[in-house]
Amino acid sequence: MKSLRQRIVVFFTVLLVVVLAVAFSWISRSQENIATARLIAELEVGERVCTQLLAQRSAQLAQAAQVLASDYGFREAVATHDVATITSVLQNHGARINASVVLLFSTEGEVIATTLSHATARAIPVLSALTSGNGRGSAVVPIDGKPYQIVALPVRAPLPIAWVVMGFELGDALAGELQRVTNLQVSFVAQAADRSQLYGSTLPDRLRQPLLTRVGDAVAGSSVSQRVDLLGEAFESRIVPLWMARDERVVALLQLSVAEGLAPFVRLRNFLLGLAVVSVLVTVAGSIMLAGGITRPINRLAELARQIRDGNYVEHAKVETADEIGELALSFNHMLDGIAARESEILRLAYNDTITGLPNRARFKAALREAIAASGRTGQQGAVALLDLDRFKHVNDTLGHRIGDQVLAAVGERLCAAFSRGETVARLGGDEFAIVVPDMAGRTLEQVAACAARALGDPIELAGQSIDMNASVGATTFARADVEPLALLREADVAMYVAKQRRVAFVPYDAAFEQGRQVQLSLLGELRRAIENHELQLHYQPKLHLRDGSVRQAEALVRWTHHERGLVPPIEFIPFAEQTGYIRNVTRWVIEEAVRQASAWRAEGVEIELAVNVSARDLADMELVRHTERALARHRMPAHLICVEVTESGFMDDPQRALDVLNALHALGVGLAIDDFGTGYSSLAYLKKLPVQALKIDRAFVKNMVGDEDDRMIVRSTIDLGHDMGLAVVAEGVEDAASIESLRALGCDFVQGYFVSKPLPADQFLAWQRAGRPISPRLREPDREAGDARTASADA
Amino acid sequence: MNCRRALLALLLAVPALASAGRVDVAVRDGHGAGHANVVVYAIPEGGKVSGRPRAGSIDQIDKEFVPQIVVVQAGAPVSFPNKDNIRHHVYSFSPAKQFELKLYSGVPSKPVVFEKPGAVTLGCNIHDNMLGFIYVVDTPWFGKTDATGNVALDGLPAGRYQLHTWHPFQTVQPPAAGVVVPKDGAVAAAFQVDIGETPRAAK
Repeated sequence: MKSLRQRIVVFFTVLLVVVLAVAFSWISRSQENIATARLIAELEVGERVCTQLLAQRSAQLAQAAQVLASDYGFREAVATHDVATITSVLQNHGARINASVVLLFSTEGEVIATTLSHATARAIPVLSALTSGNGRGSAVVPIDGKPYQIVALPVRAPLPIAWVVMGFELGDALAGELQRVTNLQVSFVAQAADRSQLYGSTLPDRLRQPLLTRVGDAVAGSSVSQRVDLLGEAFESRIVPLWMARDERVVALLQLSVAEGLAPFVRLRNFLLGLAVVSVLVTVAGSIMLAGGITRPINRLAELARQIRDGNYVEHAKVETADEIGELALSFNHMLDGIAARESEILRLAYNDTITGLPNRARFKAALREAIAASGRTGQQGAVALLDLDRFKHVNDTLGHRIGDQVLAAVGERLCAAFSRGETVARLGGDEFAIVVPDMAGRTLEQVAACAARALGDPIELAGQSIDMNASVGATTFARADVEPLALLREADVAMYVAKQRRVAFVPYDAAFEQGRQVQLSLLGELRRAIENHELQLHYQPKLHLRDGSVRQAEALVRWTHHERGLVPPIEFIPFAEQTGYIRNVTRWVIEEAVRQASAWRAEGVEIELAVNVSARDLADMELVRHTERALARHRMPAHLICVEVTESGFMDDPQRALDVLNALHALGVGLAIDDFGTGYSSLAYLKKLPVQALKIDRAFVKNMVGDEDDRMIVRSTIDLGHDMGLAVVAEGVEDAASIESLRALGCDFVQGYFVSKPLPADQFLAWQRAGRPISPRLREPDREAGDARTASADA
Repeated sequence: MNCRRALLALLLAVPALASAGRVDVAVRDGHGAGHANVVVYAIPEGGKVSGRPRAGSIDQIDKEFVPQIVVVQAGAPVSFPNKDNIRHHVYSFSPAKQFELKLYSGVPSKPVVFEKPGAVTLGCNIHDNMLGFIYVVDTPWFGKTDATGNVALDGLPAGRYQLHTWHPFQTVQPPAAGVVVPKDGAVAAAFQVDIGETPRAAK
């Protein structure tokens, strides 16, 4: 639900309120009961006191009456029936003691004299009972409906000769007197069948009428104690019957105001209520403070956690206390430090190149994006330059990766030194560096490239060696905000490749580079799929041994049957594959397939030595050797049945490395032939270094040798040179019988060409070989053969 | 005790004496027990009573009238000797004789003469407890029953008499009984009386 703080506050508050409410209601109820019991008890005591007081009063009245009854003169008057005297005495004595009523009765119950009318006097109830005895009697009786306390005393002479009766009204005065003693509200009520009359009361006037309307029920009720409500004021009431007849009675109503009786309890209750309110407030405040003490640090930690989420590691939690919260804060700080340290390390790894310490590709892209945005804002022209070290692989392979890494680091340092005016130098990977120039400031791309070239101008001195590093640079400019960084990088990349191709130090990007490039790019993707989908296959063109007419060698030529376009001429994809380096994959596939095929034929008892073409890029890669070795091992093939054909230019790029690769291949037992011999610029010195076994004379010389004396002479010289160096000589592009005869005369060892056979699929080749080498009847397709031949040995 | 009608029973006939006879009266209550202090007197039928009445006396001893009941013939003087060492104020409001002897001690100089027959209730104005009776009869032949409830009236000339009884606390007045007194000897008479409780004069 809500926050921890609210829950703590609500819990304690509700707990306290419930406890207080239960206690309060219990105390209230107990108080009420106690108060009511006390009121009732007080009323009971009051009743006894009132009864006692009335009895005392009765005794006092009796004494007063006794004085009268004992008066000798009075007795004499009574004895002599002197009614006039009697009446006057009665009035006199009555007035003396404030009697309301005075009467004289004969012992026979006859009224002798009275202050009332005789009829009224005779109607006084219970008089006969009072006057029947010897002693005296007293009672409360209604006279004319009005309650009186009467006493009856005999007049003795000395035997009773008459009765004196004196009556005193029950009125306000008596009620007040009783109230003074008992502290109760006292009312005297005479109740007849049809009406009630209040004769004396201590109640305020306003309550008297309500009392009369309510008293009927109260008096009629069976219980002596009950609660009567007068104008909203409750009175605990007790009825003290003073006199009762069948349909008439006189009662004293004793009452205590419940409110007054409850007053001390109400004070206690109010005190408790106040205490409850104060304690609830204190609890709320206290628990808010206590909860705050818990939740405030937690909230601060939560806020800190949000800051950590947002990457702010500066602020630390304050450790204020030694309790669990403090411990938590301490742990938080440790966690924060740990996260900050790890993140900076991750950032370092993520955005910096570990070898050079330069920004990596990711950070470079960010810098480029910033530069583009800045350029969009300011309109200044920026540039991106891509720099690829030439022949770095050679350094790596020959001097080892450790030196290679040091070279990269040195290059990075130099570039950084050369570009320190807001430019970003990054290593994108391998031997590729990139530079973002946010503001060309009037410089040209050529100047930027030259700057980079100058940085690499001096040889790098490492481990006692002097290493020359050159680079191919492609660059492009930007001046708008809506340029895609990746598009810029690609442009620079394209320009760089063009530079590589052209073997120049720098080429600025030109949109013209894009023409055909799209086709080639898609071709590259399809070529990749071609290998996966087995769209490539090898055709084999036999090499005819001129001395004995046998065919024990053939050149493996790659054919691509595109699943939609059909046969794709090698000229359309081989140069491109070489350009992009994808030729390495093609070459590996060719070696693998050739070894497999040779192995298959060998299993059928036919040993054919297969030659595969290897490009310059292949020769820069020692991996080729290992791959070849694995292929031979996999098919349990003797290495001498495989031969690689290399053009002269193939190893001119990086002669040392190419030599290493070729030597390694030679060490495996693989043969080597120089392809297209005579067209390149190779020196004989190189030829001498190479572990070569054969020369292949370029078709251009062979094709015209019958008619052209110069060509014929070149062919002959080449054959002689080869033989002098102990090499076998193969003539390519043989298209007619005359050429064969001519070559045989010159001592050429092998011929290859359409006249012998066009390249054949593996099954046809085997059939052809077994059938005894029939000369291909299709000599009239020189164009195709020429294209094929050139393609098969092409090396741009 | 309930009121009952008294029954007259004349039981025994005794030979009468020539000069004077005697009446033996037995007074019984409803249970047959004799009742003391019942006044019995005989009124001769048609005869005139002559002679000087004997004087009576009623003492005040220990704040009581002693005896409580005194019978005298009408016209008899009664003295009220005060034998206490305190004074008394004897009075009567009775119709038969009203008088008062104001605070005195010893024997008052003049006895009080009671001429009218009837009951006289005596009280003391200072001592409400004191209660006495003087019963005045119009005959010289009277007496009070003894503890056994018997009384003998002696010296009566032969002749017919009406016998009466009285007691201050009687609830019913028994009717008079006629007896014939012989010249010599005795005649017996019996009364049944119903006497209430002795009321206390005052608290």
